[in-house]
Amino acid sequence: MRRSLFLALMTLTGATLGSFATAALPPTIKLGAVESLTGDNASYGIPIRKGIELAVAEINASTMLGKSKIVLTVMDDKADKQEGISVFTKLINEEKVCAIIGPTLSSTAFAADPIAQKAGVPILGTSTTALGITAMGDYIFRDSLPQASVIPGTLSKVIAKHGVKTASMLFESTNEYSKSEADVFKTSLQKLGVNLVASESYSKGDSDFRTQLRKLNARKPDILVFCSLIGEAIPVLQQAREVGIKQPIVGGNGFNNPNVLKNAAEAAEGLIVGSSWFIESTVPKSKQFVAAFNKHYGSDPDQFAAQGYAGAYIIATAIKNAGSAERAAIRNELAKIKNLDTALGTFSFDANRDPLHDSVPLIVQKGKYTLFR
Amino acid sequence: MDLSLFSDPVYLLQNLIDGLSRGALYAVYAMGLTLIFGVLDIINLAHAATFMWCAFAGWMAMAVFGLSLPAGLLVSMLAGGCIALMLEYVAFRPLRREGSDRLSTMISSIGVSLIMVSIAEAVFGVETRRFPNTVLSPRPFHLGGENGVSISPAQILILCASVLLMALLGYFIRRTRMGKAIRAIAASQKAARLLGIHVEAVIAVTFVTAGALAGAAGILVGLLTNNIVPDMGGQIQLRGLAVVILGGMGNMEGAVLGGLILGVIETFTIAYMPSGSDVKDAVVFLILFLILFVRPNGIMGRKSADRA
Repeated sequence: MRRSLFLALMTLTGATLGSFATAALPPTIKLGAVESLTGDNASYGIPIRKGIELAVAEINASTMLGKSKIVLTVMDDKADKQEGISVFTKLINEEKVCAIIGPTLSSTAFAADPIAQKAGVPILGTSTTALGITAMGDYIFRDSLPQASVIPGTLSKVIAKHGVKTASMLFESTNEYSKSEADVFKTSLQKLGVNLVASESYSKGDSDFRTQLRKLNARKPDILVFCSLIGEAIPVLQQAREVGIKQPIVGGNGFNNPNVLKNAAEAAEGLIVGSSWFIESTVPKSKQFVAAFNKHYGSDPDQFAAQGYAGAYIIATAIKNAGSAERAAIRNELAKIKNLDTALGTFSFDANRDPLHDSVPLIVQKGKYTLFR
Repeated sequence: MDLSLFSDPVYLLQNLIDGLSRGALYAVYAMGLTLIFGVLDIINLAHAATFMWCAFAGWMAMAVFGLSLPAGLLVSMLAGGCIALMLEYVAFRPLRREGSDRLSTMISSIGVSLIMVSIAEAVFGVETRRFPNTVLSPRPFHLGGENGVSISPAQILILCASVLLMALLGYFIRRTRMGKAIRAIAASQKAARLLGIHVEAVIAVTFVTAGALAGAAGILVGLLTNNIVPDMGGQIQLRGLAVVILGGMGNMEGAVLGGLILGVIETFTIAYMPSGSDVKDAVVFLILFLILFVRPNGIMGRKSADRA
């Protein structure tokens, strides 16, 4: 009781007197991050890690948290549920981190996030988009736009441009992210008056998708929708072109990955994706981020790097406002974040701890993501 | 069943081609597996790991060292032969000397298989490897115009290579001295030894042949799917065993026929059933069960005396 009163006081003073509050922060603040750093899905996890590390370096070099420094521990969940559970447990019980950024995949989040929720450790997902991620508990936040806030907007632009009446869809029936995304596409298409003429699936481990693709194409849909993670996204695109699919292809969030462009090459031309961020964004924080990322890593950031970078700043802001590295205090301050300037634009959480901002539809042209108009 | 698609003859023919090329891969893979079974009465569960290593060997040859496709195929088959020979020396021969039963030999092959997959994960990582587009064009050929049946260069290669391999293997087993020796050992090791056949040497040749077949299957699957990963053997492992049983344990023609049947059934299940991909394994194994119900020794199966 006394402790919570103290915390409440701290939070109160923290909110009003920022400079006083930061003085009460411990000299080192332990922050965890869990990302997929090996395997195919490392092409999502590694950019996120780069984004987080860049942000943490900037924060530590600044006076944002007074004299306190963030000590970041990044762990690999290998895109595996069991591994996710074990690294979450380690970060929470042994490293005693104040919050965790991650994990990379929704499927891992469904397995591991309940552990953090139970232990009262705030989680900030920076790439999880499936339905129901934040519904797992009041300690779970994300700065990655959920599928339900990206897909309807993207689809309506595609429909308006191409006069779409029919669509067909391919998804992985053994993955939570892909299944959830397929559900959202299905409802959105229905609402927008598009007839879903065929929906086919594949399972983990499949690598020949020609039969499904031919079946989808046999219905002559106006557009095709693919929900795949990177391992399958590349062969799915290549084989789609091989079986003669020339219609516009709308990819899910898994296709927001420069590796798709690199590996699928010309098969990726014309691919449309809904993104939460675009490299040519004119938002000042975003421009700063792109310049800093290029200087630090010598390459362009992608959407996932931007979400990781913004995620670290969002957590740091909550710590600063809380004036404390206590888990509960950080959670309460995260919930209050409104109109924060980030690389993703002006950022707020809604009542369900999901981000509130617009998505950007992109199209692949000449091997690059460009604005879809 | 999706009836509207049945009335489309192009769609049917297309799926038949896809099914046969998928089945040809299963056949090439299963021939090696059934050869070992026919001769030694053992199930070599490391065949899938050999297959995977060969796909990587072919990938290294073509993507890293820039060799041509025929050279890559040769490298892959050679690698398969070498790996299978090593398996024989490490996992099978020592147990055979001790007179172990079939079960312990099978466990030994599972063990070696796990080690081989772990080494591949350590060496290559778990990310997907792909062939450069220069190896084999992804552009398909069209028969009967743009809306006709299409067949990709990879599928043509698979069909040609598998027919060639089947013919070569048939000739080798039926017509050559070594082939006759292999069949003699399959009939009875003791009798073959009494006839002056160098049993251990012939078994080694059998393993090399089976390994080369795994190698061919590995590179062909790699080319068809463009997806080479350390756990790529898992799916074909189960299919291969089903094909061996379906065709009749140890029966070479049976493996070919079984492979093609399985490939076509699998493709047709996906092509004509709603959400066919989710039930493909169930359908494939249900049909396997029904066939075995009618013919317990497999389609071409005979009593165990007359194999290979």
